[in-house]
Amino acid sequence: MTTTMDRPASAPGQSRRSKPLIERLNIFTALALGAISAVVVWQLALHFLPQIPDGQQYFNREDKITLLSMVAWFIGFMTGIGALIAPFRWLMGKDLSHDENMFYAGKDLGVKRYFRFTTDHKVVGIQYLVMTMLIFFIGGTLAMLIRTNLGHPQGGWIHPQAYNSIVGTHGIIMIVGTIIMVTGPFGNFIMPIMIGARDMAFPRLNALSFWLVVAAAIPLIWGQFIGGITTGWTAYNPLASQAPLGMDGYIMFICIFAISTMVAGANITTTVIRMRAKGMTWNRTPIFIYGTVASVALALPAFPVFFLSQVMSAMDRALGTSFYDTTHGGSGWLYENLFWIMGHPEVYVILIPAVAALMEMAPVFSRNPLFSFNVAVLGIAGISGLSVLVWAHHMYMSGWAPLLNAPFMLTTELISIPTGMLFLVLVGTLWRGRLWVTMPMASIFALLWNFMIGGITGIYLSDVPADAFLHGSMYVTAHFHYTLMGAGLTGALASLVYWFPKMTGRMFDKRLSWISFWMVQIGFNVAFMGMFLVGLAGQPRRVEAYAKIFSRGNLITTIGAYVIMAGMLVLLHGVISSWRNGVKAPMNPWQAKTLEWSVPNPIPLENFDVLPMVTADAYGYGKAKS
Amino acid sequence: MSLDTQKRPQWWKKKDVKQTFVFWLILTPLLGYFSSTIQIRSIGAPASETMAGVINLIGLFTWVAAPVAALVGAMCLTALLSKRHYGDNPPEEAENEIRNSPRANALWVSVSAVLCLFALVVGLVVFQKDAAALTDKTAMNINVTGQQWVWNYDYENGVRSADLYLPVNQPVIFHVTSKDVKHSFWVVQMGIKIDANPGYVTETAVTPNKIGIFDIRCAELCGLLHAYMQNKVHVVSQADYDAWVKTNATTEAAA
Repeated sequence: MTTTMDRPASAPGQSRRSKPLIERLNIFTALALGAISAVVVWQLALHFLPQIPDGQQYFNREDKITLLSMVAWFIGFMTGIGALIAPFRWLMGKDLSHDENMFYAGKDLGVKRYFRFTTDHKVVGIQYLVMTMLIFFIGGTLAMLIRTNLGHPQGGWIHPQAYNSIVGTHGIIMIVGTIIMVTGPFGNFIMPIMIGARDMAFPRLNALSFWLVVAAAIPLIWGQFIGGITTGWTAYNPLASQAPLGMDGYIMFICIFAISTMVAGANITTTVIRMRAKGMTWNRTPIFIYGTVASVALALPAFPVFFLSQVMSAMDRALGTSFYDTTHGGSGWLYENLFWIMGHPEVYVILIPAVAALMEMAPVFSRNPLFSFNVAVLGIAGISGLSVLVWAHHMYMSGWAPLLNAPFMLTTELISIPTGMLFLVLVGTLWRGRLWVTMPMASIFALLWNFMIGGITGIYLSDVPADAFLHGSMYVTAHFHYTLMGAGLTGALASLVYWFPKMTGRMFDKRLSWISFWMVQIGFNVAFMGMFLVGLAGQPRRVEAYAKIFSRGNLITTIGAYVIMAGMLVLLHGVISSWRNGVKAPMNPWQAKTLEWSVPNPIPLENFDVLPMVTADAYGYGKAKS
Repeated sequence: MSLDTQKRPQWWKKKDVKQTFVFWLILTPLLGYFSSTIQIRSIGAPASETMAGVINLIGLFTWVAAPVAALVGAMCLTALLSKRHYGDNPPEEAENEIRNSPRANALWVSVSAVLCLFALVVGLVVFQKDAAALTDKTAMNINVTGQQWVWNYDYENGVRSADLYLPVNQPVIFHVTSKDVKHSFWVVQMGIKIDANPGYVTETAVTPNKIGIFDIRCAELCGLLHAYMQNKVHVVSQADYDAWVKTNATTEAAA
């Protein structure tokens, strides 16, 4: 290693020479550079962009200025965080030295590494965890605003425009939060150790994927101050093209987040395919790994389409194209198609890893092998495969292609078969097990309950005649909250408690985990049962006021929502207090058999001194050993 | 498998299997009855054949799903009721190592495939009926135009109205379009809905079979006052309808 001789190894700050650029960059330089770039480009655009003559209504100068400033923010932020240093070095024909790479990995940096472009997968995992909690905090606050406004039939204390914006922002921010809630924290922190790797295949892409999420968040917040996202999270055109400038924030947010998802997807997929420990054949690979890979692999075809749909939306707004404008040869149905080609795989991007995480925990807490590993893999594969073929069931009532309703009804209902397989695996694993009563164990039962309701109501919705009544009603809202929150979030919260000892070195406070579990689950079921009822009675989605007949159901939902909020706050308290002064965790508190429990706490920088060899799968529980 | 038949009692004679079976027998009717009744009660009385069909579908699907949900519930209950372990340290390992059961897998998958097929066929039959209504020659045609945030109705006889009046038991086809953004034309108690798209005409059909006043709501977020984009459909007897057309035609002419 001659490169290490270039610059003597020295702890940052102790060097006599001024610190090299790479050591100066962190989140603060990124925020500063991003803000400066945005302001500069904004001013330049304001002065130099030509005025648009009257009558050319399809060009919008303000949209151009906003989008340009946001792009400038994005480039400035990513430069300021240091994402461009390594690519720039390559352009110069050099590479990073070993020391620089170790610096990037966060060696000896302590807490500072969490505020930098750090490549260590464990740091990225923690960053994602905090980010997810922040997103849920904001999205949850917005949900409480919605529910409070709906506590009374006349709503009223939030202006309709602001209300629509809150609904849209709650929607998109929660979708993003749930997309990253399992694959972000646990897929990054736990997954590489679980497969016996020292890091991800592309550590710098890993850091990039996280900082892209941060970069994406700002345009969304920015959008709130320039008119908001008044279109719901679907942002259907032509409503989106007449929406205020806040829509540009949504567009930039989606574009940057889509890049992040693609980068993370390529990285995780490659890591799992290439870097599993010796002996970890596909049928010895833990089921959580399958879930993670299925999720990010599904995102790989889905998110480029989403990206594209938003680029076209931005062009319609700012450049006078007419992709979605019927009067000039476009079609709103095109947008709906592009959106749902992303949108339906996306719900499984959220759901699969959460269910797979619970499938990983089921053997641990029932001391029983995973029932029918092959069926579990088949179920995940089946859902993934079918999920790209069902998008138009969101468009049964759009009038786009009535003849296609029957085939899409077929593919949609077929998904119930692989989904049923996941139920079989979970129930089969619990069957005749020795249940260790913990919060993750209880979460498996909660998932079975919630996902059963979410799944069965999904069958009603997949049925075209029933959907003619239910589509666009609160019934749909309740249905997808049952799947994404009742099943998805339940799995994510269980994952948090389960992997908390490995991620923080401390046990999650047992009492608090139970209190929050019961509050969230009871509050959830109260809230969304009430929502099913008002949906059946005929209340449309996304309304800020409703007829008197719906008031009882809405009141029930609002009360349930407050219970969920209280439960989530208890959980937040549990996270903070356990992280700060919880009981120190042993290396393997659950006596589980996957590899992440074989590394000491705290985990060394490159996880394993000697890479492990795998000779059996991780589910060798039960007395009758073969 | 061979071990099972020689040493242990046959699987259906085991205690936990019997227990699960009893739970299943109890849970199935309970789940089926309560979830179908509660849902159907919330929907309220239908105002057309189509809506009656939707209600039947929801009831039927609920009853068909009940045994499956009950089986999962029964197995969960059995698992929960036996051999729980509390504490900070893991329990002993489970006694049987059940890693797989091809029989159970095959049974589970084939049952779910049959149920899926059933749901599909039932759905298609009803769907076919709804689709056939669109080609009914005896139906009256009404053009529905959505715009932010009202509905307008144009009748074949030239009457234009902001209120929808329909004669009872007369098939009607709605031709729906929009002037600005997407709306969704939802006649709640008649169980029909179709998006109103700018630049295109979409169609839906229904035969109201009950005199009364019912709700029309917009079911697609359409901007600021989406929540208020609703009005009523008055289903009246043929005589009342004719009278309404007469008064309305004259007011239109006068105006």
